[in-house]
Amino acid sequence: MSALFVAIFAPVLASFAVLLLRRHAGIIAVAGAGVAAVASAVLLAQAFSGAAATELILPGLPTYPLRLEASALTSALSMMVATVALFVLIFAVGYMKKDPEKPRFFATMLMFIAAMQMLVLSADWILLLAAWELIGVSSYLLIGFWHGKSGVAGSAMRAFIYTRSADLGLYIAAFLLIGVAGTSDISTSLATSGTAATLAGLLLLVAAMGKSAQVPLNDWLQRAMAGPTPVSALLHSATLVAAGAILLIRVAPMLPPSTLLVVGLVGGVTTVVTGLIALGEKDLKRLLAASTSSQYGLMLLAIGVGAPIVALLHLITHAAIKSGLFMGAGVFQHARGSTLMDDVAGAGRAHKRVFAGFVLAALALAGIPPLAGFFSKDAIIAATLYAPAGAGLLPLALAGTVLTGAYMARAMAQLWRGKGEAAAPSQALRWMGIGMAGPVVLAIILGAGFPALERLLGAEVATSALAAAMGLGAAGLGLVLGWFLPPAHLLGALLPWAQNGFAIAGGMDGLVARPVLALATALNRFETWLFNAVIKLGHASLRLGRASRISDEAGIDRAIFSFARRTVASGERARKLQSGLIHRQLAITIIATGILAAALFAAPLFY
Amino acid sequence: MSMELIVALSMGAALFGTGVYGALSQTNLVMIMMGIELILAAALVNLVAFWRYLHPDAMEAQMFLLIVMTVMAVEMAVGFGVAIARFRSRGSVEMEEAQELKG
Repeated sequence: MSALFVAIFAPVLASFAVLLLRRHAGIIAVAGAGVAAVASAVLLAQAFSGAAATELILPGLPTYPLRLEASALTSALSMMVATVALFVLIFAVGYMKKDPEKPRFFATMLMFIAAMQMLVLSADWILLLAAWELIGVSSYLLIGFWHGKSGVAGSAMRAFIYTRSADLGLYIAAFLLIGVAGTSDISTSLATSGTAATLAGLLLLVAAMGKSAQVPLNDWLQRAMAGPTPVSALLHSATLVAAGAILLIRVAPMLPPSTLLVVGLVGGVTTVVTGLIALGEKDLKRLLAASTSSQYGLMLLAIGVGAPIVALLHLITHAAIKSGLFMGAGVFQHARGSTLMDDVAGAGRAHKRVFAGFVLAALALAGIPPLAGFFSKDAIIAATLYAPAGAGLLPLALAGTVLTGAYMARAMAQLWRGKGEAAAPSQALRWMGIGMAGPVVLAIILGAGFPALERLLGAEVATSALAAAMGLGAAGLGLVLGWFLPPAHLLGALLPWAQNGFAIAGGMDGLVARPVLALATALNRFETWLFNAVIKLGHASLRLGRASRISDEAGIDRAIFSFARRTVASGERARKLQSGLIHRQLAITIIATGILAAALFAAPLFY
Repeated sequence: MSMELIVALSMGAALFGTGVYGALSQTNLVMIMMGIELILAAALVNLVAFWRYLHPDAMEAQMFLLIVMTVMAVEMAVGFGVAIARFRSRGSVEMEEAQELKG
């Protein structure tokens, strides 16, 4: 049994165990995620030791077997997913302590993690599609976990439908590539070039935009905050949202320059627009959600300038940082029962250690050395600086960095200013603290691991003092602005617009939801019509049946019965001839013979 | 047509008439059967007459006569069997009293 198998099926088994036992859900879940993390670590160690990529072939379609592969790239991603998942589950043990539906929560989380492991490890388009769907449906279940609350089911549905509508791109692109390359193997199909590659690349970009919440498909991610905070921590860091960027990182070698430019522009615009939204946001979790979109925008920008490995580094850093930030927000939410900025004001003073972790993660995200975010963000700016298309994208990247600093500083300022009394430590808080500590520590030290990872992936990551200075300057500027100036001053006339999520033409609702609803209404009308037609048809055939019954009873039955009655009556009459007296019978015989003879004699007279 | 044939046919007709009268007028089963025998005998006389005077070379007619005679014998056997059974069970063969076969 290979580590590959364990990495995927340990969470699945744990999920079944949770559903069957319905107790100790948290412990089982953490154990399952722990086993998966160990398996992922084994895979990564194998990749580091230079061994051949581990492979697992599952039976699939006759000529398209389902392949899983732990190459250097995928095992690094698998390790990231497993690590973040483990810490998020530890955090969730505390966060979900009092929830009566714990088993359902942990089982779905584990399925989610397993699906994500399958997604990152799949070396095959068909398996990737399956995993893509699985993370879609598990995220729907998790966002809608508290479906009893008003608006939650709607948010889950919105997330599902938005990502689903973008998924069409993935479907078309995957089958296009399978058709052109003649194989479902991802690495082989990446040799595709020409129009097919451009088209497939753009379609994959649409799918990635949907999953990674890029402009204009960014709205659902903020609404997905309706789910429990551990869900957000997982969803925003290593799983659902990461899927889009991971997809693009994997297919990046195939993308022609024109497509790359589009990817970079989408990323660059997203990082600025969603950065502005985050700055104007009134809710801590929604701020973090917008920041996720913004950071993924930076990753897409890095892919666009031809540095997918840099995007991967930032993805990994961001996974650790953002899960830490969300867990911190979860603690404050736990303490205040709300995530509105005004409600959590001063919560940082009450939970100083959690706040310290939050600050470290926030500074890492802003890109302050020696925290991990500095290295990945510096690499992105350096890659942009030296890329041919970089001149247009560099300002966007720098603006994104400034905005990152500004909104993180704003969040920290809000959490620190205001009154807060020290909270009594509880067991739930201890679990949450342990869960949060892991990602924060990673956010601090990950930068040291980058050179090794770069060597493993065989990529040269450009660095330059100029890029570092620009990144640091932008981050510092953002932090200072965000800490001292309220967003109304920073955004000016843009503020109401940003708070509205830059809803151009009704935003996503206008672009996707309304046509879909119109289609649904039309289909509903059609179905009603169809239903009525069927009912009418049924009535008509009932009438036909009644008519044929009447004709059967009044026509055929009566004719047959009257025939039978007449036969009986004629028999009755014939009985009267039967006297039983032999000479009378004889007389009848003789008379009849006489008549017959007379007829015979008379017959010649008539001819 | 020869006189002999007419004489023979007249003889047959007389026999037939006697037989019919007997069969219709008598009430005793045995007597009725005797009437029927006379009718059949009349038919035989006619057949013989036709053969003898019209087709003396056709030997098939004689065959036909033999078959009719066999039928007469069989019919007698059955008829007397019925009469004996009737007599044993009812003590009489008067047909005025036998109405069991009324429909």
